Amino acid sequence: MAGEVKKGIDTTKNAIPFEMAQIPGPEMAKTYMPKVIGAIIKKAKRPLLVVGAELFDDPVMFDKIIEIGKTGIPIAATAHSVKGFVDRGYLDNVYQIGLHPLTAHLRFDDWIGLDGKGNYDAVIFMGIFYKFANAMFSTLKHFNRNIKRVSIDRYYHVNADMTFGNMAFIPDDYHAAVDEVIEALKK
Amino acid sequence: MVTTKGSFAVEDMKNVQINIGAVVKEEEEWDQPMGPYPKPNVATLRDWDFKLANRYKIFYAPADDTCTLCTYGPCDLTGNKKGACGLDMAGYCGKIVLIACLMGCCAHAAHGRHLYHWCLDRFGDMKFDMGDEILVDSPLYQTIMGTKPKTLKEFGDGLSYVEEQVVQLMAATHTGQEGYYGDFESKALHAGMLDLLGMEICDMLQIVAYDMPRGAADAPLIEIGMGTLDQNKGVLIAYGHNLAAGAEAMIYAEANNLWDKVDIGGVCCTAHDLNRIGLAAGNPSIPKNIGMKPKVAGAMGWWRKMVRSGVMDCVMVDEQCVFCDVLEDTQKRKIPLIATTDKIMLGLPDRTNDPVDQIVDDLVNFKMPGVAVLDPKKAGEVGIRTAIAVKPKRSEAKAQNLITDTQFKEYLEKCTGCNQCVFVCPPHTNIGDLIQEAVKGNLEPFSALYETCVGCARCEEVCPQGIPIMDLYEYANRDYIKGQKFKMRSGRGPARDTEIRAVGAPIVLGTIPGVIALVGCSNYPKGTKEAYDMAKEFADRGYIVVTSGCMAMDMSLYTNEEGKTIWEQFGGAFDGRNVCNVGSCVANANIADAAIKVATIFAHRNHRANFDDIADYILSKVGACGVAWGPYSQKAASIATGCNRLGIPVVVSPHSVMYRRSFMGRMDKPEDWMVIDARDGKMQQIEPAPEAMLYIAETKEEAMLEMAKLCLRPSDNSMGRSIKLNHYCDISIKYCGKLPDDWHIFVRDAKDLPITYKDKMMKELEEKHGWKIDWKNKKITEGPLRPADVSFDPTNIPRKIRAKK
Repeated sequence: MAGEVKKGIDTTKNAIPFEMAQIPGPEMAKTYMPKVIGAIIKKAKRPLLVVGAELFDDPVMFDKIIEIGKTGIPIAATAHSVKGFVDRGYLDNVYQIGLHPLTAHLRFDDWIGLDGKGNYDAVIFMGIFYKFANAMFSTLKHFNRNIKRVSIDRYYHVNADMTFGNMAFIPDDYHAAVDEVIEALKK
Repeated sequence: MVTTKGSFAVEDMKNVQINIGAVVKEEEEWDQPMGPYPKPNVATLRDWDFKLANRYKIFYAPADDTCTLCTYGPCDLTGNKKGACGLDMAGYCGKIVLIACLMGCCAHAAHGRHLYHWCLDRFGDMKFDMGDEILVDSPLYQTIMGTKPKTLKEFGDGLSYVEEQVVQLMAATHTGQEGYYGDFESKALHAGMLDLLGMEICDMLQIVAYDMPRGAADAPLIEIGMGTLDQNKGVLIAYGHNLAAGAEAMIYAEANNLWDKVDIGGVCCTAHDLNRIGLAAGNPSIPKNIGMKPKVAGAMGWWRKMVRSGVMDCVMVDEQCVFCDVLEDTQKRKIPLIATTDKIMLGLPDRTNDPVDQIVDDLVNFKMPGVAVLDPKKAGEVGIRTAIAVKPKRSEAKAQNLITDTQFKEYLEKCTGCNQCVFVCPPHTNIGDLIQEAVKGNLEPFSALYETCVGCARCEEVCPQGIPIMDLYEYANRDYIKGQKFKMRSGRGPARDTEIRAVGAPIVLGTIPGVIALVGCSNYPKGTKEAYDMAKEFADRGYIVVTSGCMAMDMSLYTNEEGKTIWEQFGGAFDGRNVCNVGSCVANANIADAAIKVATIFAHRNHRANFDDIADYILSKVGACGVAWGPYSQKAASIATGCNRLGIPVVVSPHSVMYRRSFMGRMDKPEDWMVIDARDGKMQQIEPAPEAMLYIAETKEEAMLEMAKLCLRPSDNSMGRSIKLNHYCDISIKYCGKLPDDWHIFVRDAKDLPITYKDKMMKELEEKHGWKIDWKNKKITEGPLRPADVSFDPTNIPRKIRAKK
């Protein structure tokens, strides 16, 4: 029955930049539901999950990321976030690299990638200092539009293609939304 | 035309007018011939810039998608589209970067121009003498200008050169001029180099005129912190970067025996410079050791915290890094304000020509909130007399402006938890959570995050309830402010030639693992303690740690388990395992100078008018890394850019993305890492060392890892490489829990491997990377990019090839 269909967490609300003055121009990110974002990531041929040091502020996210990693999506652990993976004994497809050098390489279509198999067609950001992630999305937005920019962070990321709305102050909903993404990836 | 001789012949010339400005006679007094590039113009060093940009690809992170610089606009440049004028997004970013670097360069150069006129007026021309232990006394000036100033007046040539170049560069930013991003960046690098020169001129002028230390490793420890300002005296704050008026206030207090009635506290770099005055023994116009008397109130990021704490009675502002609403802050608290330079006049009446008594009377009786007094001597007297006289009259206003227990609780209750403040807070402090805890009676979170607050006050601007959030911080930290009393080593100025001789070989060979220069302002990602943590980490590891400006102040506010500040834990020499404070923002030039001096004193490179050669040497052989952690101003952008042109890589904080541009190497492109072996002219691929010129790190931990890596140089001998790799790997293990993924790239020989990790690494080289190992002799037989070769002489400049054809 239609009434029993689980709608899931609404991640499309609060579509205002987490840093309010980050209004870049005519092209701004759209917010999507977790299932849609999950489906888009799953459809990508060469996705890369990029995570940062804010994960230490909410350690349960490491476990969720490892779940994503286990679906086959490689993980770029930026800043010193790789420590979280070392502590959990998961390094199977985890690469230690700074977000800045990573983005610098992502600009070039001929980059060999972290595994030597070529550049990526989708990057998914999560757990990265907002201003920094926003700027790196901006680089890709302007200088390599072949890569889809996806955020599953708790912020509305204005320079992404696809993002959640701001969920920084509703951590339970945010966790549930990420779980829905994971569920979609596993389907 | 470059004139290298002091004479010329005139034959058969009629009706020719000859203007002789200065006859160059340096050659007979200087053992170096004139180099190829005296006073380089905008395009002179373009080849060098393009060499850098070819290896370190220009990287842009646009802060906005549109250009609004001309009437065609706004133009949407999204996706690197072109605007109506033909400029694409990369070009637009390059233009903004150039403008930012020019802002920074102009701020220092204008500071130098003001000091130049003031010092000559105040003290007359003086011999430029840095003492017997600093004979290479103006390295940047000599490298760029090709001449040696012998008097303060002769620095005027350098200022005129900078001013001319700045006009040419600024012209290139007009619509319809430069259009290629690479050339914008070459021009920005030129502006950065000019900035280094402007800073050096500034610091040399004030060192000589104000009798400041000339390379004093044992410069005295002075008092720092808001708690050091004596509340039984009138407190005069000197805020900004230009010491002129603050110095006159000190001299006035000294001459009139007023130190028992007044305390002077410096904010931002004026603090450094006031505390350097008179610490040498040269200028009879300067009372000896007078620099010991003022206090350092704190760094610029603490300004709004200080003004709310009620510790000050009168404020003098000079120039640079002054919050634009300073008058609003002081007026509200009945703190008279004196603007002392024409850079910052704040709408105040110009009272320069009025009698001192009249000005003081107007300020003390609150007839006006502030005045502009552009004569430093008069401003200094007005400041001292006002601070003393106004203090008793301010007591009521002071009490009214400190919030009470009741007011604090009322403000807490007004918070609706809308989180508007969090949306604008640079470090994203969840202020609503702090308030919720305070409502429960727990002020600890407010205290714990006091140092993380960068003092921008944007939270107050957006709070729909009008809660004075900075005042809440002040209330919760009142005891901390009273007890904020620490020590800082006074700015020592340049590295001495003898120090360079001692450390030159260890730096170039790598046995001193590197020079770490910690500079910057207030915009730290996670608070001021990161300044201390970084300094301690690298000093403990034996690096030469150099610092300046607000970073030096901020690292002073913490102690180890024995209660010792960083200055009490380490010596102040330019040597491994030392932390040396060179001084204020303009004293940053001394750091670039030290790198040049390694090339010229240790390696005997001719630096005279030879910028690219010296930069090439530094890039290939001097393991130095700048760190602008918390930079906020355009000056920081131009300093970093100047260091980059000189071959020094820089690590910056995540807030620095607002500078828009960085320089990043591609490790997957072997052709980018080809250098010339100067011995025979053959091309050789090197490991990516240093791998970047301007690197943005997300966290302190990442920054430290990168700092260690950016000290690697192709010239390292095996022992040096082993030591550097050891620190790189060790920091990675400490903060990341594992060896870095790329350590093997830097291994040329088994001797390069750190002893601690040797067996583990050899095993990994064989199993993971397919290298061949002779286990019996513990040697690597196949795998490295190139062999270790102690006499390898890497260069990027063909004219450095020594082999005869």
